[in-house]
Parts: sequence; structure tokens; C-alpha cells
Amino acid sequence: MIGDVIGQSLRQPNRLVPAEDLLGNCDGSRMPEIVADRLTPAIAQRLTEVCPTGALGMEESGGHGCLRLSYGDCIACGRCIDFGAGAVVSAKRFTWCGVTKSQLVRLWDIGRCVEITPPAPSSDEVRGQIYSFFQRALNIRQLDAGSCNGCETEITALTNPYYDWERFGIHLVASPKHADMLLVTGPVTRNMAGAVKATYDAVPAPKLVVAVGACGCSGGIFAGSHAIVGAVDAVIPVDGYIPGCPPTPAMLVTGILEVLRRRPT
Amino acid sequence: MMLTIPHTEDGALARLVAVFGSLGPHREKRIHYIFDLGVPDYREIVLPAGGPIDSIALQAPAAAWYERELHDQYGIEIVGHPDLRPLMFHDNWPDGVYPMVDRAKDVPWAKREYCFLQVQGEGIAEVAVGPVHAGIIEPGHFRFSVVGDTILHLELRHFYTHKGTEKLFEGSSVTSGVMVAESVSGDNCFAHAVCYSQAVEHACGTDVSPRASAIRLIGLELERLICHVSDVGGLCTDVGFGVGAAYAMRIKESLLRASVDCCGTRYWRGVAVPGGLRIDFDSGKVLKLGQAVARAYGEFSGITSMILDTPSIQDRFETAGVLSREVARDLAVVGPVARASGMKLDVRLDHPYGHYKNCQFEVPVGDYGDVMARAQIRIAEAAVSARLIQETVNALPNGDPLVPVIARGEVRGFSAVESPRGELCYRLNGLDDRLTRCYVKSPSFQNWPAMPFAVEGNIIADFPLINKSFNLSYSGCDR
Repeated sequence: MIGDVIGQSLRQPNRLVPAEDLLGNCDGSRMPEIVADRLTPAIAQRLTEVCPTGALGMEESGGHGCLRLSYGDCIACGRCIDFGAGAVVSAKRFTWCGVTKSQLVRLWDIGRCVEITPPAPSSDEVRGQIYSFFQRALNIRQLDAGSCNGCETEITALTNPYYDWERFGIHLVASPKHADMLLVTGPVTRNMAGAVKATYDAVPAPKLVVAVGACGCSGGIFAGSHAIVGAVDAVIPVDGYIPGCPPTPAMLVTGILEVLRRRPT
Repeated sequence: MMLTIPHTEDGALARLVAVFGSLGPHREKRIHYIFDLGVPDYREIVLPAGGPIDSIALQAPAAAWYERELHDQYGIEIVGHPDLRPLMFHDNWPDGVYPMVDRAKDVPWAKREYCFLQVQGEGIAEVAVGPVHAGIIEPGHFRFSVVGDTILHLELRHFYTHKGTEKLFEGSSVTSGVMVAESVSGDNCFAHAVCYSQAVEHACGTDVSPRASAIRLIGLELERLICHVSDVGGLCTDVGFGVGAAYAMRIKESLLRASVDCCGTRYWRGVAVPGGLRIDFDSGKVLKLGQAVARAYGEFSGITSMILDTPSIQDRFETAGVLSREVARDLAVVGPVARASGMKLDVRLDHPYGHYKNCQFEVPVGDYGDVMARAQIRIAEAAVSARLIQETVNALPNGDPLVPVIARGEVRGFSAVESPRGELCYRLNGLDDRLTRCYVKSPSFQNWPAMPFAVEGNIIADFPLINKSFNLSYSGCDR
């Protein structure tokens, strides 16, 4: 019996996705990307109207009318792609993972059809760094603050033979007392707010907190509900944000490594 | 005022499907009861609830949580209920604030006291678990009363992930409400999206194209297949059978990746909308998805025999967490859990919808109601799902992916779908394009109260395994 099991295991092909192929990958995430030269004031106005969470909006910057895309609010519903007349497409690469809150926001000058935000963290830069993390151990405690369980399903996928995040030295630990990093999903509900604070307090310093998913970054579709307190940073300090609804395993890996890269040493 | 529970044709009390509140045109409170009469259909009974309402929980124990929810959300006085402690709102919620009636903005923080049931006697200890658990699990609190290792009583305290979802539907347009529906329970998001969309289509008298119906069936069965493969893997994890778990997780991932190739999303989010499908599916890609499913199911059936033949698995699965048929019936349990306890119950067969009307299939029914029975039911259902996907992929009808949905005047819609966890219902009211009420009956809300009965007499170390074999969603239950 056990011989069959071991034999079958040995015959399995290796399905591990190389680290390089994960960084910046966003297949299946439906995250939007703006095609700057197709932007017009009318399209920008339309995008603002169809976005259900206010991730897309208009604002003034330096005297110019700008389109704002805040990835932290985006639930990747795809309506902007449907109504954007070619000015919005599905992102092919996505590196706004593990970044700071201000870096989640991008701006385009509608009149001049150019992006006026600083460029996203380059995944090439991260790639150069990740091998130095291989020998390190990062203990992560996942904390559901009220999520719909979409993010949990994707975090669970990180342990499967395709992603196998233990190769990066990442371990999932059972107690916050063993953790270096809290991976927090969901909008913080009223009923979980106390437990979220207590869990944060139980993590020994120095500690990192990563807010995961549209809900963790901004409250997402649940923003404004009477039963939630708000995004994760409404309750505990957050070091990095991974947007997406839900973020794919590749985006989670990209984000966690980016937070590590940026951490103060 | 008291409701008379209807009977089915063969004289038995009808199965309770849901109890929920709503506000009438003059903001008067009402209670809606939905029963399953088998043939011909569901029956909804509405009672005015301006004054006290007699509880039906003693005749139909399945109503107990629903009545507590009504009490919390609407402030409806329920007379004769055995346990009216707050269910959805915890110690931080002030008395007398009913969010479905009042304008619940900036609700002050309060400090209330919640009393757990105390089991008294010599040598009895309490073990408190949660809301934050070890591992990647949703939050919920379990209060065990144990003698040694043996569980005498388990009290659940849930609703940590209560997000006021039903209130969020109010005022949203009938087309965009689907985004909220997809976020009720993320791993079953497609079943929620389809069920919500069907309710809107019922309200507006829309007929979706045969092609859209067929592709919805593929998505629903794929979601069920993924869920069952994942559950079998989870059961292996909980008994330390790492090989089985790794296989199952790999097969699940191969199906998620096949979904990305077919429709650009891992969990079919943003695919189903009222009127059909948001994206047009390429027939060639659907065929490829069918091939991936066939391959994945072939691998899965290979590992399931390996799993079930392993003596240490049999030792842990058999006789653990027995849910008797009587308890399952009284608590109106649904889905694979009900079927593993001998209840023949499946919305796809009992009240066929969409493309299921054109399909011939049987659902497996178990007997013993233990962890092994639930595992076997999931494995057998995965086979049915794989076959239904193959048949549909091979004979995909033509038609427009999306037809317009026009909501005029006062509309009301109802829809039931067999989600991977069981019967899921949406019941909505709208005025022109705006939703005025949308109720979600989640199978997890129905099944959670049965869990304490299944763990009684088991050792506490078997609880994670029994819990996994039920595989209930916390977010779906808490909404």
C-alpha cells in the first residue's frame, strides 16, 4: 500500500513554478491597466461612473484634469474594461503588490495622455534580491479579519506543489507569538476588531503587517457598511498592501517579497 | 400571531428553507417563511410582524437561528423561543439598534455581556477555541465542555465575519448587486452570482440564452468539483496524510489554471451577471477546459481509491462525527452533509433550474452520516460533476451570451441553486432598477447548528476533522 503511494509520488512530474515566473505575474486576477493614449475626458468620466467602489475617479493635479486609479479600492469587476472603449485593458503584468498605501494610487493626465505617477516597483529589482532571502526564515501568521474567504483560498494555494512558498523560507505558523509577519485579509468587522488588535499585540516586535485584498486595503465592496470598522489600517499599522479581489498566489508572493525588500534593516 | 407549518403531500411537515424579515411599503415589519413542499415548488408565507410573533422553533428546530436573526436585525419580538441571546451582534453592539430597520450609521460601541451555556458536573472542563484559529481558517468561536478528551457539549459563537451584506444590497442597482453576491462566500462565488442573477431574471421575466445557461452549468459544476477535490485534500491534511493532501491541492490548482485559460479568472468571478454572462466564451477554449476537467478527474479518481483504502484513514474517518438522520431532518440540513446522513435532497433534481432541466443524473446518498460518509459523498459527487461538464461541453448550444434585463415598477424574484455546500437561495425585491431588499439563504447558516450534534461524544482532537468534513463557510453564514 505505502509502496504504491511512494511510487506514485516519485512518478509525478515537477510542477513547481520558477520564482521568476511568479514575480509580476497576475494571470487570472482581472486587474485593470490604463492605455494612456486612448484616454479622453469623456471616457474618464464614464469610467468614474461605472466603477462600483470609487477606485476610478477624477481629480486635479498640477492644474491638470487627471484620472485616478486606486488599486486598493479595485475589486477587479472588469466594468471599466467593458465600458472603457479600449482605454482600459486587463493587466498583463502587475507589480503594485506589497507597496505602501500612496503607491497604490496612479494618476494619468487626461489632456496629455500620460501617466504622472512614479513608476511601480520593478519586479526585476525584486528578482535580484530574492535569492538573498532564500536562506532566511519568515514566519507568517494569517489572520482573517472578516474576509469572504476568497483571499484565504488563494493563500492556501501558496502551499500547493505549484507555488510551494516554503522554498522562499516562508512558514505558516499557528500562533501569532511565533510570527514575524501578519497577513491580514478582509475588512475588519466590528466583531473582529478586538481580536485583530489582540493578535497584533501578541506578535513580538519587530513585526510586519501586510493587508491583503481589496477589502484589506480599503474595505472593498464592504466599505461603508454598518458592521465593519474599515480597512486593516483603520485598526493596526500596515507595512504593505497587496490589492486584488482576490490577489492571485503569484501576486501574494510578489507582494510579500516586496515588503521584505522594503523593510527597514 | 403564529404560523401554521404546511405539510407536504405525504403528510409530513414541510422542510423549512428560510425565515427572514422585510419592510413593507409603509415600513411595517413582515416575516417571510419559505418552505419546500417538494412538488410543485417552494411556498412562501408572509405574516405581518408589527407585534409579537410566536416562535415555531419548538416544532421546527431549524427555525431557531432564523428567529434569533430576526430578533437581532429587525427587533421583532419572538414569543416562546427557547434561546433569544444575540446571534449576529456581539458585546460591542448596543441594545435596541436594528440595522435592517434603522439607519445604522455611526453605531456607538457598547459593552454587553454574553452568557455561554454552562455544563455543570464533576470533572467537566471548558475549552475555548477561536475566533483566531491556527492555520488559514475563517474566524469563529467554539466553546467545548469536555470530560477528559470527550466532548459533552459544543456551543458555537459565530458571526465574527458579519459584514452587514444584506443591507449593502439595498439601493444598489439590480445589475451591480451581483458584485455583492460574489463576496458573500468567496470560494462559492459563482454559485452566488448565478443564484442572484437567476433571482433578478425571475423578477424581470428574463430568459437567458441556452448557451449562457449551459456555460453557467459548466461553471457551477466546476466549482463543485474544485470544492470537493479541495475538501478531500483538507480531510487528508487533518489526519496527517500529506501525500493525499498534496495530490488534491495540485489537482485543484490545475483546474483553477484551466479556468484562467478559459475565461481569465480563477474562480469565475465577474462571469455571471443578470441576463446571462458578462463575457463571450470561445467554444474552442470551453472544449479545452473540458479536456482539463477530464484529466483532473481521472487523476482524482486515482487518488481517492488510494486514500479510502489506506487503513489509517479508515480508522480516523469511520464512526467519527456521526450526524443522525433525525437531527439532520429536524435542523433541515442541506447539501452533501444532508445526503451523507441519508436525506435525498438536491435542488438540481428537486427544483431543476437553467440547463439542469436538460440533464439526466442521480445524486449519491449515504447512510451513516460519519466523516467517511461525507468524504464518500463528495467523491461520488465529483464524478457526477465531471460527467455533467463533459456532456455540456460536448453539446454546447448557441445563443447570445447576454440579453438585456429590464426592471420596471415593483418586482420580486426568488431563486434556488445547489451550491457545493447545498441549497442556496436569493429572494429579492426591487423598485424599478433599485433593490429594496435582498435576502441570502446560505447553506452554511442552515448547517452550522447541526455541527454540535455531530461532535458530541467524540474526542476533541477529532473536531478539526469533523469540522472539515462539514466544510461550512463562516462568511457565508455570517454574511
